[in-house]
Amino acid sequence: MASTTPPTPAPNTAPPKPKPSQPPVSILPTQFARAYALAHPALLLSLVVYRFTSVVENPIAELLGDIPYLVGLQAVYVMGCLPPAGSEKDPSGSGPDASEHKTIKKSASISALRRRGKATGSASWSTGLVLVAWKLTPALLSLTLTALLATPVLAILLILFGAPFTTHHALTFLCAAHMALLSSFPLIYTHGVDGTVWREVWGAARPLDAVWGGALGTCIGAWLGAVPIPLDW
Amino acid sequence: MSSRNESLSANNLNKSQPPLNLSSRASDPLKAQSPKMLPGLQSRGTNTSKKDDHAKELEQEFKYKHLSLLGVFVWILFLHVVGIFFFTKGFLLTRMVLENKSTCDALPFDDSPSSLLEQSHRDECWHPKSFDKAIVIVIDALRYDFTVPFAPKAESESAQLFHDNIRVLYETAVNTPQNAFLLPFIADPPTTTLQRLKGLTTGTLPTFVDAGSNFAGTAIDEDNLVAQLHAAGKSIVQLGDDTWQALFPGYFNDNLTRPFDSFNVWDLHTVDNGVNEHLFPLLEPQNQTKWDVIFGHYLGVDHAGHRYGPNHPAMAAKLSQMDQVIRELIAKIDDSTLLVVMGDHGMDSKGDHGGESDDEVDAALWMYSKKGVFGRTSQETIMPPKYARERFVPQIDLVPTLSLLLGLPIPFNNLGSPIEEAFIGTSGKDWRNLVTVNRLASAQVKRYQQAYAKTHGSDDGEDFESIGYWETAEKSWQAQNGRPSSKNAIPINEAYKQYQRHTLQICRGLWASFDVPSMLQGIGVLLAGIILLTFYARGVQSDRTELTGPFLSRVGLGFVLGGTSGTLFAVLKMTEMKVSESSALLAAIGSIFGASTAIFGCSQRLSLPLPNSLFGWLAVVFTVSQSIGFASNSYTIWEDEILLFFLSTFGVIAGISSMRQQSTTDRVLGVYHSIVFVLLGRVASLSRLCREEQMPFCRSTYYASSTSSTSAPWQLAIPFLVMLILPTVIKGFYAGSKSYEGAASLWIGIGFRLGLFVTSVFWVLEEIDGKEWLPLSDETLKTIRVFLAQLVLGLAFAAGTTAFIYSKPCVSISVAQTNAEPEPKRPSPGEQQLPRTTVTILGFGNIHGTRFFFLAINFCLAITLMQKPMGQGAMGLLLWQILSLLEILDTNALVTSNSSIGPTVLGLLGSFYYFKTGHQATISSIQWETAFIPLTTVKYPWSPLIVILNTFGAQILAAIAVPLTVMWKRPLQLTDKTSSSAPQKPALKLLSDVAQASATYILYFATINLATTMWAGHLRRHLMLYRIFSPRFMFGALALGVVDVVLIVFSIAGVRWSTLSVGEIFGW
Repeated sequence: MASTTPPTPAPNTAPPKPKPSQPPVSILPTQFARAYALAHPALLLSLVVYRFTSVVENPIAELLGDIPYLVGLQAVYVMGCLPPAGSEKDPSGSGPDASEHKTIKKSASISALRRRGKATGSASWSTGLVLVAWKLTPALLSLTLTALLATPVLAILLILFGAPFTTHHALTFLCAAHMALLSSFPLIYTHGVDGTVWREVWGAARPLDAVWGGALGTCIGAWLGAVPIPLDW
Repeated sequence: MSSRNESLSANNLNKSQPPLNLSSRASDPLKAQSPKMLPGLQSRGTNTSKKDDHAKELEQEFKYKHLSLLGVFVWILFLHVVGIFFFTKGFLLTRMVLENKSTCDALPFDDSPSSLLEQSHRDECWHPKSFDKAIVIVIDALRYDFTVPFAPKAESESAQLFHDNIRVLYETAVNTPQNAFLLPFIADPPTTTLQRLKGLTTGTLPTFVDAGSNFAGTAIDEDNLVAQLHAAGKSIVQLGDDTWQALFPGYFNDNLTRPFDSFNVWDLHTVDNGVNEHLFPLLEPQNQTKWDVIFGHYLGVDHAGHRYGPNHPAMAAKLSQMDQVIRELIAKIDDSTLLVVMGDHGMDSKGDHGGESDDEVDAALWMYSKKGVFGRTSQETIMPPKYARERFVPQIDLVPTLSLLLGLPIPFNNLGSPIEEAFIGTSGKDWRNLVTVNRLASAQVKRYQQAYAKTHGSDDGEDFESIGYWETAEKSWQAQNGRPSSKNAIPINEAYKQYQRHTLQICRGLWASFDVPSMLQGIGVLLAGIILLTFYARGVQSDRTELTGPFLSRVGLGFVLGGTSGTLFAVLKMTEMKVSESSALLAAIGSIFGASTAIFGCSQRLSLPLPNSLFGWLAVVFTVSQSIGFASNSYTIWEDEILLFFLSTFGVIAGISSMRQQSTTDRVLGVYHSIVFVLLGRVASLSRLCREEQMPFCRSTYYASSTSSTSAPWQLAIPFLVMLILPTVIKGFYAGSKSYEGAASLWIGIGFRLGLFVTSVFWVLEEIDGKEWLPLSDETLKTIRVFLAQLVLGLAFAAGTTAFIYSKPCVSISVAQTNAEPEPKRPSPGEQQLPRTTVTILGFGNIHGTRFFFLAINFCLAITLMQKPMGQGAMGLLLWQILSLLEILDTNALVTSNSSIGPTVLGLLGSFYYFKTGHQATISSIQWETAFIPLTTVKYPWSPLIVILNTFGAQILAAIAVPLTVMWKRPLQLTDKTSSSAPQKPALKLLSDVAQASATYILYFATINLATTMWAGHLRRHLMLYRIFSPRFMFGALALGVVDVVLIVFSIAGVRWSTLSVGEIFGW
């Protein structure tokens, strides 16, 4: 993995030992993005607090009913605050020989994005709509991948950690779906299917940015969430 | 192959690096090293003899250091034994035994003249007797619901095979209430037969410390029913279970008594048929004068429960047989004989007992007489209770009831109450009789209480809190001049009864008194042991073998000083402890101080034992969080699931860590084995035996059903699958490093597989036993089974140990004279003219690991034989998971860094598979019947050893594998000792690493043990103490002891042979 490291170090990060193939994902520099990136966790948490009793009372119906809201919140978050996959690098320049080229392209596209971002900050409705439409495709794509790939993988992991194998499948899958929406959706949206990045994700070697931190937090939270399961009160 | 060969030396020793030897680190030191090893292969060695001497010296040094290392671990074992002993002494309840006896001429009313007696029956004892003779039949494990018609508690429940087989008890109690009554009969735990017989004859409460003596019963010193019968000159006959003989030696009529061995639980019929054979002749008229009381003890129901579980045709047949026996007895007894049938305890849903769950304590009591003396106090109590928890009587109530019915004094220690059905009279209105017997019983309870308080020296206030009830009752009694009318008798009777029950409650609490100082001493020793062990395992930076010498001498000094002073203290009466106890405690304390000076004395080689890596922290988190969890009954109950969770966590983190490895092979193999590790653990977790508290969230799969202790037919395929798959899997791991050479192919491919095949056949024969599928008698089948089992054990231990000691390492060495070999990079010019000798060694990449793994294979075979088919699958998975773990450790460079995670995960695996082999932390889950796999009768010491092999098989196998965590694919360090200025000693380094790994493994179990000990001590008044905390403490302590011994006697000792064998070929 070290061989694929770009020659220029990622900006604003102390280089960790195996340098990440992609710089940490930063929140888009628009005002909305900055504000919503802060509001988003609060919104998610308040959803939990607000629906907690009904989750306890009727978990299947409630978890199922919450999914659209969660999708909505996450979609606003990723589309509004995160750069979609490919926006930071040219898909053609992925070969090691093109790394120089890639870097140039990348900085160019970042500045382009910044310009666009500034534009959204002040400009008219129509520009905003165009931007949303432009981001809708990657969002929908990554949502599909989240449902088809990430959810089953997480469900299998849950079962491997001791979730019932023969019963309670609906609950396990719903839990996996929630976890996938929280962790994988932003990851897929920002990184697409870049093999090197995903190897770093599996190796837990990503820099701790908003996207990877969120995914890590989801998993650690789920792990700690298992602690009170045996309690009988 | 040849393209990967590396030239090692001037005389062209070519070592073929195995293609899958992931630890390519191994090759680097080899290149630089000089060729002067392989003494056995050297053809033209100069100064060979000198080197031989040097090798001899090194070998001697290794052997000496190895022995002294064993000494260190023996000392650790000593600390554990002392700590556990002192805690247990204070924790397991003890009760003082009073040897006072009741006699006929000393009535329990100390203040009243025996006017009552003089008036009516001078020849009688305390109370006029109702019967001259009695037949007391104990049907072992006769649960109450066996005896009453099936009454579903929920609509979905349907009758099971054990229901409605014994109808006679219920029928007689309903049809002729004056002749018979049937009541639930609740045992005081522990529900083991010996404890129950003590309770049933002395009328007092058992204490936990007695529980351990089930295997070697000791005579009862206290006053009891049998002794009273004997004192009254009755001829007592005992038939059946020989536990009676151990409890009451010399009381029985030797000519008629027929004891039978009670522990052969595979045998359902010998004892019962024997009892029948000798019981019925005694009932013939010509023999009626030869006896007064017969105690008959049937074991078939209990054995059927242990062997098959209650819901099994064999149980139904057994219960029907008992029904028939009782009917015959009814037909044969005369008017003056009382017939009592009872269970001494019940059985849990799988047919086992020992604990205090409802099913285990709910027995049945039935009394019958042709004379018609029984009655009911009211219409509601005419019918026997539907369920065991209605109108039940404690088992100790039998003692006063039987004593007074037979005209004997109530035994001195009795705390039970007379059963009202037996004294109320056929009309149900003889309250005066009832109040009289209750007054007698109360007076005796009071007398006992006074005597106990006097001996005990405790303040009277607490003990006599219940005396108020007595005084109230006595006042009313005196007010009526001892002749109350029926109407007045009812409240007086109630008051006496209240006094008895209240006193019983007080005594239960009183005897739950713990010796806290002793418990603290034990915990202190254990804690100090753990602190020292932590520093020894994780804090010492230097070579542990160098530390051993000064360590042992200081420990020895402290031990001797402490032991001597302890003996002196005890002899000079400065302490109340016994000589042995005080010297052991002080020897432990002294040696702890000695060890502390050795370890903490030189701080330069000591560091804080804090983990320095993610894996190190993971090991700490696993151990500590599990230990904290034992404070809660929930986490103790669900320990099996928690262990799975931890193991999966380790697997996933190992996978993540493997993803970060630089080398592609390391990465791919690491991820592959991590996935395999997690999957295998999850598959193994499907084998479950649920404990009662886990219901209804758990479904047992270990046996055919939740109410059986036999395997389902499909489960018999598991041993065959293990036989087919497991050797192939091991072969794959060996082949990975080209080590499937030499003894390996013979031992794994043929020996191990043959052993597993014989095991499979054994379990098939076991399953068809009693089904008459083969034209062979049960005896022949048993003989064949025992032979097969002994064959497997012989293969595993006799042949296996020999092979382990004498076999060569798993390498293939071929010597070829050739010039065709590609030139090494820097050929040494001086030797180029000579003919080239190429020595190719296959399998040196994992030479230590594969050689030592033989020991694990031997133990795996023996342990597999001892498990039920489901457990055999689990053991196969365990061995596979251990191998995957070793590969994970290797690919993540955790073998050479001596990470604590390897031994800790092995500890987790051992604990996890304890649950996957059909065990729980409950006494009733011990599979006693496995003692009869290779034996026909109980033989000491083998039978207990076999049960240990079954119970702690997983921990034992994991303990055997502990040295592998530092030996698996360990690079073979070949150094030149003659020239090097600072000689490295790879064998000693290996020994030091093994010591570290073993100490870490012990540390895991010691921490768990300390936690369960402390929590059990802290929660000693908890409602769930005897159900949950106390059994977990006992299993934790036992597991620690077993692990210590196995590590000393087998694992660390085995390192000697495998290292010697490697050293013989590759030098020291």
